[in-house]
Amino acid sequence: MIKPAFKKIYVILGEQDKENPEWVLQTLSFLYSHINLTSNIYLVSENLSDSMPQVERIRKSINEFLSEHLFARLYVHIVHPAPPSAIDDIKLCYKYLKQSTDKFDQEGYRHQELPRLILLPVLVPDNQVKPIQLIDLLDVLKNSFLLSSLYLNKDTLDLAQDEKLLSLTDKVYYGIGNFGEMTDIVCNLFRQDILDDSLDKLENNDLSMTEPCPDSLIISAQDGNIYCCMDAFLKNESPAKIHGMHSLEELLADYYQQNKSKKDCFGCREKVINFFADSPKSLATDQEIGALLYHFGILRQKSEDDFQAIKNFKQALNLSPIEETDPVYFRLGLGYTKIGHYDQALKAFKSVEIAYQGQYFFHFYKGLCYFGTEDYATALEEFSKALQSEPQHDDQIRILIYIGTCYNNLGKYEQAVDKLEKAKETAGDVKEIYNSLGFSYFKLENYDKSIKNLKMAIQIDPFSAIDYASLGSNYREKGDLNMAIGMYEKALALDPGITFVRENLERLNKNL
Amino acid sequence: MNVLLIEINPFVQETTPISLGYIASFLKSKGFGVKILSIGQNTSLSRSAFQELISTFKPSLIGFSAYQRIMLYLIGLAKFIKSIDNTIKIAIGGPQATFMPSAAFAELPDVDYICRSPGELTLLGIARAIENGTPFLDLSGVSYKDDNNAVFDTPELEGYTDLDRYPSAYLDNVFDYSRMREAIMLTSRGCPHHCIYCYTPHAFKHKISFHSVERVVEEIRWIRKKGVKRFWFADPNISYKPSRLIEILERILKEGLETEMWLQTRADLVTSELLKKMKRAGVSTIAFGLESASERVLSKLGKHITSEKVAEAIRLAQNQGIEVELFTIYGLPYETFEDAVKTLEFVKKNKVRIMGNTNSQQLQIYFGTHMARHYEDYNIRPLNNNRPAYLSIGSQYETDHMGRRELHKIQQMWQANSLDGGKRIVS
Repeated sequence: MIKPAFKKIYVILGEQDKENPEWVLQTLSFLYSHINLTSNIYLVSENLSDSMPQVERIRKSINEFLSEHLFARLYVHIVHPAPPSAIDDIKLCYKYLKQSTDKFDQEGYRHQELPRLILLPVLVPDNQVKPIQLIDLLDVLKNSFLLSSLYLNKDTLDLAQDEKLLSLTDKVYYGIGNFGEMTDIVCNLFRQDILDDSLDKLENNDLSMTEPCPDSLIISAQDGNIYCCMDAFLKNESPAKIHGMHSLEELLADYYQQNKSKKDCFGCREKVINFFADSPKSLATDQEIGALLYHFGILRQKSEDDFQAIKNFKQALNLSPIEETDPVYFRLGLGYTKIGHYDQALKAFKSVEIAYQGQYFFHFYKGLCYFGTEDYATALEEFSKALQSEPQHDDQIRILIYIGTCYNNLGKYEQAVDKLEKAKETAGDVKEIYNSLGFSYFKLENYDKSIKNLKMAIQIDPFSAIDYASLGSNYREKGDLNMAIGMYEKALALDPGITFVRENLERLNKNL
Repeated sequence: MNVLLIEINPFVQETTPISLGYIASFLKSKGFGVKILSIGQNTSLSRSAFQELISTFKPSLIGFSAYQRIMLYLIGLAKFIKSIDNTIKIAIGGPQATFMPSAAFAELPDVDYICRSPGELTLLGIARAIENGTPFLDLSGVSYKDDNNAVFDTPELEGYTDLDRYPSAYLDNVFDYSRMREAIMLTSRGCPHHCIYCYTPHAFKHKISFHSVERVVEEIRWIRKKGVKRFWFADPNISYKPSRLIEILERILKEGLETEMWLQTRADLVTSELLKKMKRAGVSTIAFGLESASERVLSKLGKHITSEKVAEAIRLAQNQGIEVELFTIYGLPYETFEDAVKTLEFVKKNKVRIMGNTNSQQLQIYFGTHMARHYEDYNIRPLNNNRPAYLSIGSQYETDHMGRRELHKIQQMWQANSLDGGKRIVS
């Protein structure tokens, strides 16, 4: 088993430990041996000019590592605010940083491949910056680097409407929180990565979503801690306060052996998707998130967490284009059916009437809703439609049982018997069939047949109190009071809460 | 003695390294301990984990599949391996190695052998020589650099013409089925044609050899049993012998082994009947090589096919509900910008979705191709004459008709028409 490698490392630059000013650099240098052959490092700075000495030291250590290890490839994302007042300084910083990549650019050209060191600016504009200023900066950066990315929040989201600006941009990150707040930025970048990873999984049919996100670390120079994932960062769960190489070894041992901070990766992914559902973003992203929420809804439904499933489906409906909503409405209806909110379920099913008309399961679930609201006549119509729409074998039996039960509830006992006997022929030993037939025959005063069926029900489920009770009633009607009392007593022994049995028993005992 | 085989393709998701699988199975049958390390885009592998693998498995020989795009990775890993244990011998094989000039040894300081003949037999010879303590004695099918850095070329080695003589990587459970998304099958090797841009015909001396139908069906049966439900047939022309393919498909249908399949063949090797059978057996996608829609360009490629024939094959496949992919190339000799645009228009007109393999790519001039040996005759001008000896011209060239600007422009046009932004599945 090969130990996992870190694919992403987020570094919050800034105030350093006075006792150990090179802590971030030492930590990173230690981790180079544990990063993936192709990895991403995000250097998040409050102010690029001020962070340049630190960035430069890290850049040098990266160059050394890459020069020594030709199999390693690093994407270094430099994330920083880009207020109007700093734009000239930012250009100067990048002009300087560009020189450091020349060697790798030449090597890449010689080997007909992308360079092994790629610097990727990620600009965080404030609400004072004008599109033209950003365009100018992006244009300058484009001459030396791959296209830059933008990080926008609600105050700067309008910039995403500028087509010229977008044509100079590789990727737009969307976030919440205040301008330049580094912890918010790191969390939002991390969330974006979880979102991208989840979308990749969906695209590649890797549908479980329970796996941890790609191995990542957050290193904060601000608090001197290392976190094993975003969830741990948000909960301030750092395995150890790290101040030296010895502790880094311990951290890794902890990460590999126990991975303690990763507890609920499925839940974390779901939270992230829901986070984006509520955040400002592009229309295309809306659709992708809608598709993910739909998928998470299905996973929740499979695990019988119908309330969370409904929440996901409702969010998915808000984000999905109209032509993709049919399955979402159907699943939503299914969710409401399962929690007994039949009116809401029927409302959801109504939205997909045209698309799902003729599908047996659609009519079956609609039938269930009407059955649940005790509208047995309409339920019967839907179940009958389901039966005519070529259901699968097991479902056919379920439908027949429901039809029989509807007829029973409508007082049409002969029709009930007709359908339930058919179900019996097809299905064999299903308790519900015998139970319902027992009821139908009882109502038709055919007590022998009723008793025969109820005995079959008990044979399948010897602890069915209601079937003993029904047997008691049959014997009572036949005049066999001792047998009736015996059956009622058995029913009460199994379920002392059946009040009508207790009352019947008292009456019989008095008569005797 | 242990042998580690490494496949690196960091630009796509990890795939089943079928060629290494064959070698692994063959070496295992001869008593060697073998491991395969496949490194894809989604593989998690660090320097320390790789070091741990070498230290614990203790291979005496490490073989790399060499491709043009991964030579830097290969060189870096070879250097790292030697820094861990400089007694480990390193061999490279595969398409980049077969015709790589021996002069490349000068720039591959940590590589000991360049394999030039079929991998199974060549690597077995090397492994046995190492095991005997005479790593450079009595070798065939390789070039090697001895302990004094002297370079030697050895005689060629013929592979088996009956492919069933090679044990099956699948039946021998060489691969980890739990991680396998699709099985890559190689039911035949080689190609008898003469396309001037292709490595395969020259590498296999324009011959083609086959596995028996029985062996192919047995593998399919076993792989399906292991839970893998998608098959990708890497044979260059799977319908080269139509009757053989029909027999395979009929066996699949008879035994209820229908499964999702991708395959490729020449457009003049399909019929409506064959495609119908393919569809029934589970073929979801078929790929044809169009290369260029300009008859003038196409006629000079040695492929002996017309765009009309390709259009007909597309229509026949589409009529059966089989998705079609088209391999196309721009930057071909004699091709003008207008010719290149014509290819794009052909793909669009024939309603082939531009994504995955249908995303066009620039001609790559690889070692071993007719183009690589005679590029000057085609007025190809390499742009970088200072490239390392282990690399061929690749895509760093201009032609008489297309300069870098035109090549870039046609690439952008393909990307603009692509449904997936120009991501290729197979290179």
